[in-house]
Amino acid sequence: MSRQLIKGNEAIVKAAVLAGCRGFYGYPITPASEITEAAAAYLPRVGGTFLQAESEVAAINMLYGAASAGVRVMTASSGPGISLMQEGISYMAGAELPCVVADITRAGPGLGNITSEQSDYHQVVKGGGHGNYRTLVLAPHSVQEMADLTALAFELADRYRNPVVLMTDGFIGQMMEPVEFPQAAVGPRLPKWAVAGTEETRGNLISSIYLNSDELEAHVRQLEAKYEIARQRETRAEELYMEDADVVLVGYGIVARILKAVAAEARAEGLRVGVLRPITLFPFPTLHFKKAAKRAKVFIVVEMSNGQLLEDVRLALNGARPVEFLSRVGGNVPSHEEVLAFVQAQARCCAESEQVAHV
Amino acid sequence: MATITEGPRPMAMADYKGRVDPDWCPGCGDYGVLAAVQKALVELQIPNHQVVTISGIGCSSNFPGFIETYGMHTLHGRALPVATGVKMANHELTVLVTGGDGDGFGIGGNHFAHAMRRNVDLTYIVMDNQIYGLTTGQTSPTSQIGMKTKSTPFGNVEGPIHPIASALACGATFVARGFSADQKHLSGLIRQAIEHKGFSFIDVFSPCVTYNKDNTFQWFRPRVKKLEDDPAYDSGDWLAAMEKSILWGEEIPIGKFFERTDLPSLDEAEPVLKDGPMVGRPDHIDPAIARAFIEELM
Repeated sequence: MSRQLIKGNEAIVKAAVLAGCRGFYGYPITPASEITEAAAAYLPRVGGTFLQAESEVAAINMLYGAASAGVRVMTASSGPGISLMQEGISYMAGAELPCVVADITRAGPGLGNITSEQSDYHQVVKGGGHGNYRTLVLAPHSVQEMADLTALAFELADRYRNPVVLMTDGFIGQMMEPVEFPQAAVGPRLPKWAVAGTEETRGNLISSIYLNSDELEAHVRQLEAKYEIARQRETRAEELYMEDADVVLVGYGIVARILKAVAAEARAEGLRVGVLRPITLFPFPTLHFKKAAKRAKVFIVVEMSNGQLLEDVRLALNGARPVEFLSRVGGNVPSHEEVLAFVQAQARCCAESEQVAHV
Repeated sequence: MATITEGPRPMAMADYKGRVDPDWCPGCGDYGVLAAVQKALVELQIPNHQVVTISGIGCSSNFPGFIETYGMHTLHGRALPVATGVKMANHELTVLVTGGDGDGFGIGGNHFAHAMRRNVDLTYIVMDNQIYGLTTGQTSPTSQIGMKTKSTPFGNVEGPIHPIASALACGATFVARGFSADQKHLSGLIRQAIEHKGFSFIDVFSPCVTYNKDNTFQWFRPRVKKLEDDPAYDSGDWLAAMEKSILWGEEIPIGKFFERTDLPSLDEAEPVLKDGPMVGRPDHIDPAIARAFIEELM
């Protein structure tokens, strides 16, 4: 298939259909509405169903129903809508139901505004709902990745029988870039555990209730074991100029695009700057950070929130290296110039401390 | 020497003009609703500080910013629970709740039913344009079957909710419908609704000139018929109101469908509030009462 120029939000839906998604239930919200609109247009063409729910609470519960019956399902929303879905996400994680949720983030708290922030990190990556569960979180930084990671999200959701969140900012959702879609489509498959209305699946029970304390503890431990396997097998990150980097820039989504441009410019000035971009936010690419810390002198986290990714970077480094932080919020984006100036200052700082060490 | 004492100056339309100009599209039905609310407040001469306007999310939910009263811009679909809280804290306030059809009948549908069942003394004005305007044109709970929107590209297959019939069924004690283009009539309904003690619901046809090309001002104008023009119509008759509520098509009734005044509103029914609003009470408990209460617990 040839490349086509397409909007990030639309690329998600095309990729979802090709990945076997046959149910989409959603509620409009800026800047994610195009996903719902594209789903309304594309799903009926492949025999899938689309419903505009009366609320995000309804949408996520419609997913619960259709996923239970064994259909690959998806929804999309942003900030306040994701907050409303947390109850259902917790129930789906508890009942071990696969689904894909796209979160095209906006600014908060409360109504905030419709411009982009990355402040959904805590509620998505740490699990905004109740109970001992995690969601797997993928963070695309290009329209091509919107397509690729959507396909991966469906795979992971089925493999781990768990909700997977595709989280990016409004910029990646709204921008247009050339995308290449996979040549072959994945056909819908009926999982063994589904409640499919057949004689074979009569004994299947989908539930998150365990009234006996020991049974619930065993269930939670089993979920943890699943997340541990995901930690070992599914962690993904992109490294750029990392072989000899003194200064490591860390960011995801649109910020990562800025960091790549800044790193290239800093390199041209002779500064040894690299970029470490987490692609999976859960499981977090801790090993990539540990490896980088062996050589790098300082890490700089750049984030469109008040320090949410920052916490995971600090946990991953565990005090091994200093972590500096550059933050913009409210819908403001860190400019190329301000990031570069910040990097230059840190690089000078590193160089000076090196000279002191040599004396 | 004679002293001149001036009485308070009567409130005028300008006194209710908000500090922010509406950001609605030119020609939006909501302008007519805003003017009708302001006119009703002028007629009732309610001082600004005794009115609170509460909304959820949507084009019409920006309303509290455009009117000079106390205002609360709350969560999507949650204006009625917030308004219920305000009324529990200070039931002497005139509470106006404004919003759209998606906010009120979709995401807020659950609260719509329960606020009416409780007969909370407030006026709920829904600017019903049968579309999601703020998110640029998706189907709404009042969109007609067959309507093409961005989320129903092949035509809406779902039937709409009937706001008037729903309100009647849920126990609203004042139920009316207005049309944004008939401001005088609408303002009269709003005035009666505010004066009514109990839950007043007004569904207002407030056409979206940008995203709803089906239910336009031109579409409504020849269809709306005032209930007041029928001398035989009795707004005290619930069954008659139900019958009228489901009429849709060539003739669509507007006006006061139903009112009953024999039921207490929530603040009247709540024994704790019979001595006045919670906000006006002393913030300490009589030591004798406190002691007796603690002893009872022990």
